Parts: sequence; C-alpha cells; structure tokens
Amino acid sequence: MLEACVFATILFGFFGSVLKGNLAMKIIAMDVMSTGAIAYYVLIASRGGRLTPILDEVVAGEAYADPVPQAVILTAIVIGFSIQALMLVSVMKLARDNPTLETSAIEQSNRP
Amino acid sequence: MMDLNNLTITWLALPLLVGFGIYLFPRVDRPFATLAALGSIVYGGSAIARAEPLTLTLLNNFGVSLLVDSLSGFFILTNGFVTAAVILYCWGSDRKTFFYTQLLVLHGSINAIFLCTDLMSVYVALEVISIAAFSLIAYPRSDRAIWIALRYLFVSNTAMLFYLIGAVLVYKANTSFYFEGIQNAPPEAIALILLGLLVKGGVFISGLWLPLTHGEAATPVSAMLSGVVVKAGLFPLVRCALLVPDLDPLIRLLGVATALLGVSYAVLERDSKRLLAYSTISQVGFVLAAPPVAGFYALSHGLAKAALFLGVGSLPGRDLRTLRTLKLAPWLGGAIAIAALSICGAPPLGGFGAKTLTLDTLLPWQVIPLNVAAVGTVIALSKLIFLPWNPYFAALKLPFQGAEDASIQASHSGDLGADAAVLSPAAGSTVAAATSAPAPGVGLWLALPFLLGGLAIANGFYPQAYGLSSFLKLAVTLGIGWGIYGLLPRSLPLQLPRTVENLDHLIGAMSLGLVILFWMVMP
Repeated sequence: MLEACVFATILFGFFGSVLKGNLAMKIIAMDVMSTGAIAYYVLIASRGGRLTPILDEVVAGEAYADPVPQAVILTAIVIGFSIQALMLVSVMKLARDNPTLETSAIEQSNRP
Repeated sequence: MMDLNNLTITWLALPLLVGFGIYLFPRVDRPFATLAALGSIVYGGSAIARAEPLTLTLLNNFGVSLLVDSLSGFFILTNGFVTAAVILYCWGSDRKTFFYTQLLVLHGSINAIFLCTDLMSVYVALEVISIAAFSLIAYPRSDRAIWIALRYLFVSNTAMLFYLIGAVLVYKANTSFYFEGIQNAPPEAIALILLGLLVKGGVFISGLWLPLTHGEAATPVSAMLSGVVVKAGLFPLVRCALLVPDLDPLIRLLGVATALLGVSYAVLERDSKRLLAYSTISQVGFVLAAPPVAGFYALSHGLAKAALFLGVGSLPGRDLRTLRTLKLAPWLGGAIAIAALSICGAPPLGGFGAKTLTLDTLLPWQVIPLNVAAVGTVIALSKLIFLPWNPYFAALKLPFQGAEDASIQASHSGDLGADAAVLSPAAGSTVAAATSAPAPGVGLWLALPFLLGGLAIANGFYPQAYGLSSFLKLAVTLGIGWGIYGLLPRSLPLQLPRTVENLDHLIGAMSLGLVILFWMVMP
C-alpha cells in the first residue's frame, strides 16, 4: 500500500514535469518526483523495522531500520535541494524577459 | 614514499582543493589549474603503465569502493588532456576565476567517476558534474545560455532520479551498492539505472538533448562537454558491461544503434557545431560497441573532438554553406582537418589505432553496421576536412555544387546591404555573426598543438594496428566515404525536424526509453 503511494507520487511528479507548460511548475513537479524517490529509500530502509538506528541502550527484540539507505538518501536530498535552488534562480533570471514562463515560448526564442 | 592508496586519494582530492584554493588566490588561477590537470595526465599515464589493477575499499563493507586499471587510466588521461587544453585555450580570455574553479570541480568529479565501482558514488559524482557543467554553460549569463544550462540540468536531474530509484532496488536485492550486485537485481532496477546512464552519456534517442547543448555552449565549454563529460556517463556503462557479462550484449547493441543514429543526423547537418555534436553521439556508439577496448577509443575521440570544437569555434561563422565560400587561415583549417581525419581513423594519429582496435574486437553481427557507421563518419566529417583552407580545396568544384556556391559568393562579393534579399534569413544571420566573431587568440595556438600532439602520442598505444589489412580497410572506408561526399549535393534539401529536441519530448522519451529497456532486459 505504502509502496503504491510512493510510486504514485513518482509518476505524478514525472507526468507533471512532462505535461505542465509553465517552467516553474515543471520544476516543482520534478521536486515532487524527487520526494517520491526519497520516500522510497525511507520505505526500503524500514523493511526490517522502524526504530531509529542509533546505538543507545540496546532494546532487546526491537527491530531497527536499515541505516545505509537513510544515510545515502541524506546526500541525495542535499544534492536535490541545491539543484532545485539553481534551477529556480535561473527561472528568476529568465522571468525577466519571459514573464509568462511558457516553456514553448522560451524554447522558440532561444533556438538557433 | 607514499603508498599507492594514499597517492590515489590525494590525487582524487587535488582538483577540488586547487579549484576552491584558487578562488582565494585569483592571481594564480590559470597556472595552478593547469598543474592540477597535468597531475591527472601523469596519474592516468601511470595507471595505464601499471599492469595489475588497484582496488581500494574505503571505510568498510558499506564504504566507497574504487578500482584503478588501464581502462580508468585511459579515461583519466582523456580528462587531463582535454581540461589542460581548455585552460590553455582560455588563457588569453577575460574569464574570471569562477570559471576555472567550476572547471576544476568538473574535472575532479569526472576523475572520481573513472574510479568508482559503486552506484552511490557514481550518483554523487554525476550530480556534481551536472551542477558544475550547469555553471560553465550559464557562465555568459545571457538568456540563451541560462536556458540551455537549465534545460541540461533538468534533463539530467530527471534521468538521475530514475537512476536513484534503480540504485535502491539493487540495494534491496544485495544490501550493497556495488556494481556486481546488478547481476542479482530485478530487471526494472537494471532498466532504471541504464536509463540514467544512457541519458548522461548521450546514447541513442536519450542522447538527443546533446546537439543543442553542445552546439550552443561557449567554445571551450563545448570542447569540455563533448570531450569528457559524456564519457562520465559512458564509463559506468562500460564498467558494468565488463563486470556483469549479462549486460554486455545489450550495451554492444545500444552502441551500434547509437553509432548509426548519430551519423545519419550528422550527414544531414549544415551547422558546423551541431555536426560535431551529432558526431559525438555516433562516436559514443563506437566506444560502447566494444567495451573491452573502450578506453583507447574514448581517449582518441576526446582529444580529437576537443580540438575540433576549439578549432571550429574560432572559424568566422557556423553555417557550412557560408564557410565554404570564405578563405580560411591554412594553419587553422589544417588543424581542423587533422583532428577530423583522426576521427575518421587515419594514421599516424590516435584515431587509426583506436578504430582498428575497436573494429577488431567486434562480435560478428556488429561488423557490418559499424563499418557502415565508419563510412558515414567519413562522409559527415569530410564537410570539415574539405573546407577551403588550402588553395586546392578552394578551387575544387564538385558536381551539383557550382550554382549554389556561386550565388552565395556573388552576394558576398557584392554589397551586403543590397544583396540581403538574395540570402536566406539564416545565411544573413551567419554573416552578421561572422563580423562579430572574435579573432582566434593566443590560447588556440597553445591548445591545438597540445591536443594534436596528444593524438600523435596516443598513436603509440597500439602499434599492432599497422598492418596491410587495416590500411586496406581504411582505404576502402575513406574511398567510399569521399566518393559519396563528392556525389552528394552540398546542401541536402532534406532537413531532419528538430521537434524531438523540445524539452517535453526529451523528458517524454525517457518514459519510452524506460519501457524499451525494461523489455530488453527481461530475462
């Protein structure tokens, strides 16, 4: 069930980035897709258990979440965030000359 | 005496340290940047010379794993040569330290790709490459540059999201991110990972973002993108094909398809920089077609393509129809012709050995399509070899060519303002560009001999190529290619539509590619 929700998020994001005409919306849609991917990592990390994987006092019989995907996805979140920031800044720059931010119009005016 | 492991890690960190260091000391940016690139040349050369591969596992089981062998050596050597040449080319320009910092960050992360053997390190390095390449493309800050850079980042980030999902599926099956785990991974994981790498490497239909990006970026940036950045996507593919034998036929098939797709576009192209970009797509196919010898081909292609981009970028204009009517400087035209000949596979250049080695390592079913692609490469690059830089080529008039050239020449010799109606709008804009194009600076004088010298040295890596059969094969390929080039009308009436290069179509094609890949990797 959770897995289906995660895949739905990824698909919604992907189709949003294809079908939306506005550049800013495309970028937001891509962020939705990346949220889906991150959620999938978290989901896979919790296959074995949900307890935070910090070695404190060992609780017998408790199942810990897998720390590796969680650690790895932290990097991906930071990277995704910085790429998002870069893209939004370029959209701000582009918006000065293309206030509607219609992708087809921008594409038309920047074609050789 | 430092041991090899520490040396490798120091060398890996060096470009990043120097890159951020020169930002603090802008006065010494270019010398230090060149030194960092030369360091990669030395390291790459020593990796090729060392017979046994070096394996490194940092931290523990879940840590980063690195592998240095002669394959990575060749790719590192390419990276070092192209980066050094690009820095030399920019020496006389007024580019700020920011440019060199980004260039070195790009250089360092590409080096990292060539050592990594686990999916996560490759992911991180590929994303850093995207960001650094974005900054380099957007460096002029014009609207067009920002749009091209944004488009590049958008396409590559979407592809990397698919890759990320594939990577976690591999982890689920193996509880590790190592490449070897792909063997046990479900087919959807393989399809997702391949899609991400194919888009980054500019392979087959997922590489159609490449012509616009490489064609519109500034000259040194396109040299960098075409020379090494696409190889960052290819290297993991080649490594997977070697580590996971099940993937080998698929990668070879994709290579052949890419080579054919790239040349068919390149033969029909009229714009010199886009022609080079399409030629990159087809050469990427040659690299993938024979994974065991991919390194040498990547080296010779990287050097020649960087030289071509730097040379063609200094020509007064981009439309080949206009260029054919101008008189070019012989040394510039000659350098372009030498680099183009190397890609066609002519001796005594690296391209000859690389092409012979690749064509000798093919599987039987690959031989015919790849030889067709080789002939197509000759046809496409003849457009650059026979530019009128030497008086004989200028006088050379081939059938079908006379009338059209004469009309363009007439409009050139006459008053431009009065004759503007004769020229098509496209030709008019190229003439305007020709007057504003900067004269080739001192940097080009440094960079071109450096790259062409590298090509000549690379020739020594495979001396066995010099045999009667390879000379015969080359003569037949060149003969057929030049024959067809001579017979074809100079400007084909057929122009392939560029609709597929729209952003929506590029992203949409990814879903299509995913379905096709999934269907292909299904056991």
